[in-house]
Amino acid sequence: MRAAMSEPLTFAVPKGRILDEALPVMARAGLVPESAFHDKGNRSLSFACERSDMRIIRVRAFDVATFVAFGAAQAGIVGSDVIEEFDFSELYAPVDLDIGHCRLSVAVPQDASAGQASKASHIRVATKYPNITHRWFEQQGVQAECIKLNGAMELAPSLGLAGQIVDLVSSGRTLKDNGLVETGTIMQVSARLIVNRAALKTDPRVAALVETFRALTAQEAA
Amino acid sequence: MTDPTRDLLPEGLEDRLPKGAAAAARIERAALETMDGWGYDCVRPPLIEFEKSMAERMDGIATRRMFRFVDPRSLRTLALRSDITVQVGRIAATGLADQPRPLRLCYAGQVARIAGEQLDPRREHLQLGAELIGSDTAAAAAEIVELAIATLEAMGARGISVDFTLPDLVDTLATEEFPLEPAQVPAVRRELDAKDAGALKDAGGEAYLPLLYAAGPFEQAVEKLSAIDARGVLASRIDGLRQIARQVGGRARLTLDPSERHGFQYQSWFGFTIYAEGVRGALGRGGTYRIGGSDEPATGFSLFPEELVEAAAANEPPRDALFLPLGHDRDAAARLRAEGWRTVAALGEADDAAALGCSHTLQGGKPARL
Repeated sequence: MRAAMSEPLTFAVPKGRILDEALPVMARAGLVPESAFHDKGNRSLSFACERSDMRIIRVRAFDVATFVAFGAAQAGIVGSDVIEEFDFSELYAPVDLDIGHCRLSVAVPQDASAGQASKASHIRVATKYPNITHRWFEQQGVQAECIKLNGAMELAPSLGLAGQIVDLVSSGRTLKDNGLVETGTIMQVSARLIVNRAALKTDPRVAALVETFRALTAQEAA
Repeated sequence: MTDPTRDLLPEGLEDRLPKGAAAAARIERAALETMDGWGYDCVRPPLIEFEKSMAERMDGIATRRMFRFVDPRSLRTLALRSDITVQVGRIAATGLADQPRPLRLCYAGQVARIAGEQLDPRREHLQLGAELIGSDTAAAAAEIVELAIATLEAMGARGISVDFTLPDLVDTLATEEFPLEPAQVPAVRRELDAKDAGALKDAGGEAYLPLLYAAGPFEQAVEKLSAIDARGVLASRIDGLRQIARQVGGRARLTLDPSERHGFQYQSWFGFTIYAEGVRGALGRGGTYRIGGSDEPATGFSLFPEELVEAAAANEPPRDALFLPLGHDRDAAARLRAEGWRTVAALGEADDAAALGCSHTLQGGKPARL
């Protein structure tokens, strides 16, 4: 429960991949976390910000979307893969930050790719993205049974867990090292500023934040 | 051994315990009294109806959200209501078809959905609302917005904020101002709704980009919208918005988001969403529409105050109650009840006033504080 203007805004950022690229963009928008944020030994999850009316929380990427969709955080930064996976109606993704680029792809073991197992009407896929995967295969007329894994998808085919995987790919190195080849791209991914729909409508500070990031990316593009 | 799973309630359903029930009853009563005071007559449609009649008056796809089953009497499909608005529409088109217009009706009742939503797993909701049937003018819309605000105030909501939208905006613009192929319209709408500028360009809706930026506090946003509308296709709509804003200004924070379509599948030129401080998500929405079947214009709003009820229940003040010991003065007790006291009578020696939640006890024919 949040009393409108008096409470600080909460800005959620993801651990890992996107964070290093996101910090400079956030800094240009005036969002600089306290030094404890960069201290590896520090176990806190919530950090003060140089702007006093803001606090920054660092959570898993999927949880960034959940915190913002529920209005527990008013804004955040997350990859478009996560936005697409949840398809939360309460999320706006008004600004493409043009960072954290990669793609969400389907991959199969090198030896299987020649045999075209993908023509089957029912397949098993290991992925962190069961919703996107199911929707994408459905459009190809294939019923995909998704096995949700939280990491190390690349192991699934060789151990017989699933014939294919759907995972993020940037250089393709991990796939190659595990004897997998890409057979299709589901979507291109980049990091987005996300905001809670109700917060954008009711709190002028959230609208101002969107304007700031929008102006920043326009500058970058120019 | 009792089985703890035996009395589980299904997902998304809950009991309202005394505090919650008291808050819900008080909020519902306050809302109905307000709407009644504005000349809206209360109607009470049934819980279950033939599916076909409800489906005709709601967006086709929404019928999938209803519990449906076969009526053993008529062998037709019945549905448990998920939205009372369509039932009020049916009443206006049938039983009250000959009443003079505009017809003002209000309602309150429980509705059920077959599945909860990601962010709101609740499957049963209290729905409250009012419908002004026979008119969808700016004057009608202004009355409905003002009444929605007044109703929410009576229900105890604070810091009310109203977001205006123009639900048929893309359809209107696509015909001449910013032409689109019919096949492009759904994609342009979807990206406008997600406010995704990049995807909007890719969908061929580059001309619609300025609409994304014409959102925000009402006065500034409506100026930007007028600037986009160079040839005046939207002039009557913008005038309408200004008229509504003049009438309700000062009662609530007003914002405009012309391309918002979330939850406005069947509204025509005007729609609005209501928010209140301390309540997660929207409390309700409304707008102008045409009643399915009879095609009569109407304006109305619906509120889903579950979050407000929960907040109120947590702060529900303790109430006074008068303990009546064994062998008490029955006439005095009756007199005090008539004065408005709640009494709790002892049934046996073991009954304890404080344990039963009483604040007073009857002594010498008068209440004495415990």
